[in-house]
Amino acid sequence: MVQRIREWIEIRTGISELVRSQLIGYMVPRNINIFYSLGIVAFVAYIIQAITGIFLLIYYAPHEDHAFKSIQLIMNTVPYGWLFRLMHVVGSNLMVAVVFLHMLSVFFLQAYKKPRELTWVIGALMSLITLTFCLSGYLLPWSQLSYWATTIVTTMPTAFPVIGDFFTKLLRGGEQVSGVTLNRFFAVHVAFLPPLMLILFGIHIFLVCRIGFSSPPFGKVIEERKEWKEFRPESYPDGHPFYPYFFSKEAFMIFLYFLAMFFIISFAPALFLPADANTPADPLNTPEHVRPEWYFLAPYQMFKLIPNKFLGIILQITLVILFILWPFFDRLKENNILKRPRLLVLFLGVLSLWAVLTIWGSY
Amino acid sequence: MGGSYYMGFLLMRYLISMIIFFSLISISEGGWKDVFKKEFLTAPWGKGPKIERDVCIECHTSEMIKSQYREIPSEWRKSWHYEYRVACHDCHGGDPRDAEKSMSPERGFVGIPKHKNVPEFCGKCHIGILENYLESDHGKALKTIGKGPNCVTCHGSHNIQKASIAIINEGLCTRCHSYERAKSIKATLLLTEKKIKEIYDSLKTLRSRLIYTEDDDKILFRTHVEFRALFHTVDVNLVKDRTDEFSKRLSAIEVRVQKYFQELEFRQNFTGIIMFIFIGLCITVFLLGRKSE
Repeated sequence: MVQRIREWIEIRTGISELVRSQLIGYMVPRNINIFYSLGIVAFVAYIIQAITGIFLLIYYAPHEDHAFKSIQLIMNTVPYGWLFRLMHVVGSNLMVAVVFLHMLSVFFLQAYKKPRELTWVIGALMSLITLTFCLSGYLLPWSQLSYWATTIVTTMPTAFPVIGDFFTKLLRGGEQVSGVTLNRFFAVHVAFLPPLMLILFGIHIFLVCRIGFSSPPFGKVIEERKEWKEFRPESYPDGHPFYPYFFSKEAFMIFLYFLAMFFIISFAPALFLPADANTPADPLNTPEHVRPEWYFLAPYQMFKLIPNKFLGIILQITLVILFILWPFFDRLKENNILKRPRLLVLFLGVLSLWAVLTIWGSY
Repeated sequence: MGGSYYMGFLLMRYLISMIIFFSLISISEGGWKDVFKKEFLTAPWGKGPKIERDVCIECHTSEMIKSQYREIPSEWRKSWHYEYRVACHDCHGGDPRDAEKSMSPERGFVGIPKHKNVPEFCGKCHIGILENYLESDHGKALKTIGKGPNCVTCHGSHNIQKASIAIINEGLCTRCHSYERAKSIKATLLLTEKKIKEIYDSLKTLRSRLIYTEDDDKILFRTHVEFRALFHTVDVNLVKDRTDEFSKRLSAIEVRVQKYFQELEFRQNFTGIIMFIFIGLCITVFLLGRKSE
């Protein structure tokens, strides 16, 4: 019976040929490492967010009078609602961490070099959308923390002359963060960003599949790099088969991701939900210590340190543009960062600065 | 090759031009707006209650005022009122934002109330307690002969601490009468007070573990306030009679709290099992991967 079903599917889809060519017959570099699997982990993280988000949508009410109550309902009353919400909250933080790690590893392995500049640009845009997801989702519980953190963030554009006030009003839907802001952020979070992300994701995956894996610039096997004058998929005839060699690495990292998620949910469920996140929003009462989530602490601290706020915001925008277009600035052919001391120092310097600003910003 | 370098150079030049361009606008515009400064740098991170900056405090900490009144702000800062942002004008009236009118009767300034009027002064907020106090022997004595303990006799005036059963003590009560009756009331209150404190602690733990206890918080707070108000009748029999009623209400909350703790235990076990499944999967896949290598 099983054999007959298999044959039925095979005749109609030719799946065994697909498995042969894309899994068993698809070769990856011999020295490929576990960091190359972070992309698929980020993808799984997005899927988890989408699924848990859809379940939360069933009970969540995007209205200033009901949003917090609906979160209470999800956490206390709805069967396993707590599980979906915690997976969504913990997952959002882990997803940002995975995306950061993915970008860092791509940078360190210099995998953005020709012909993968476009893959990097799309990936960088996706990471920005990830942060926008976090930002828009942050307001939705309508808690003290989310209300005041959004007030701070939506105040930032006022540093721009001429258009700043207009932009802030556009974000808030008025002078203050209100129910209108909640509706706008909700729409952005559930209707505007997901299709945008899907489109970019499609392009990203298309490029990764079309060009092929890059090979790590370290280790024993380093292919002689040829000049890219015309398109050709990168192939590794003497490499390892994708399945089971790299597939097992990817599966390991995905399970590790789930392990981290359930470890936090089991032993530190409130890690990303401090007391102010569990108190309903009160526009008349500003909490004493409001600070952004950990991934925004470095830019937030930088913003505080620069005395001219407009210059601060321009500097940040410049850094973001530099980050997105980095492959076009770095035109050297050498793809082993260890042989490029200046770039290595820049990489480590930026990382250390980020860490220092993050720690500083948390006080 | 040369083209790539040229493109990088062009981009860098474009970026630098943009920085210079925006910096120039920034300098001409100032780039610093009062609203922004106020909203972004002051309000959200301002430490301590905002009510501190008012003319009452400014005057009462200056040399202009008699030394005996200069201690008031520091006393108040140690108080329970301070923690809940109850400021000078909330009790004494007046306008804390206008130095000239700050002590104007037109703006409701009361100043120091007379000994006899203190219960009404505090009772503006503590309504239930005022009612029970006025029914008590303490209240009747104060109103009929003008002598007797009022709120500040037991609670103090500016450094008012969170009320606790410890206020009923021999030292304080024997200033006016024997301790026997007060001791009997204290013994009756003790168990219920202990229970209330335990439930408060349990609810706090539940909140820290992401159970929303808003409804029970409100019920407990209401019960606690009514219970405290009841004490102010200083009627031993009434306190004894009604303690059972309060106990029942507290027990109902306790049952719900217990259920929440059981639920938390279930949640931790449930996610713990899932975590162990993933540990197993990680090990299995790792070993299989090693084998395939």
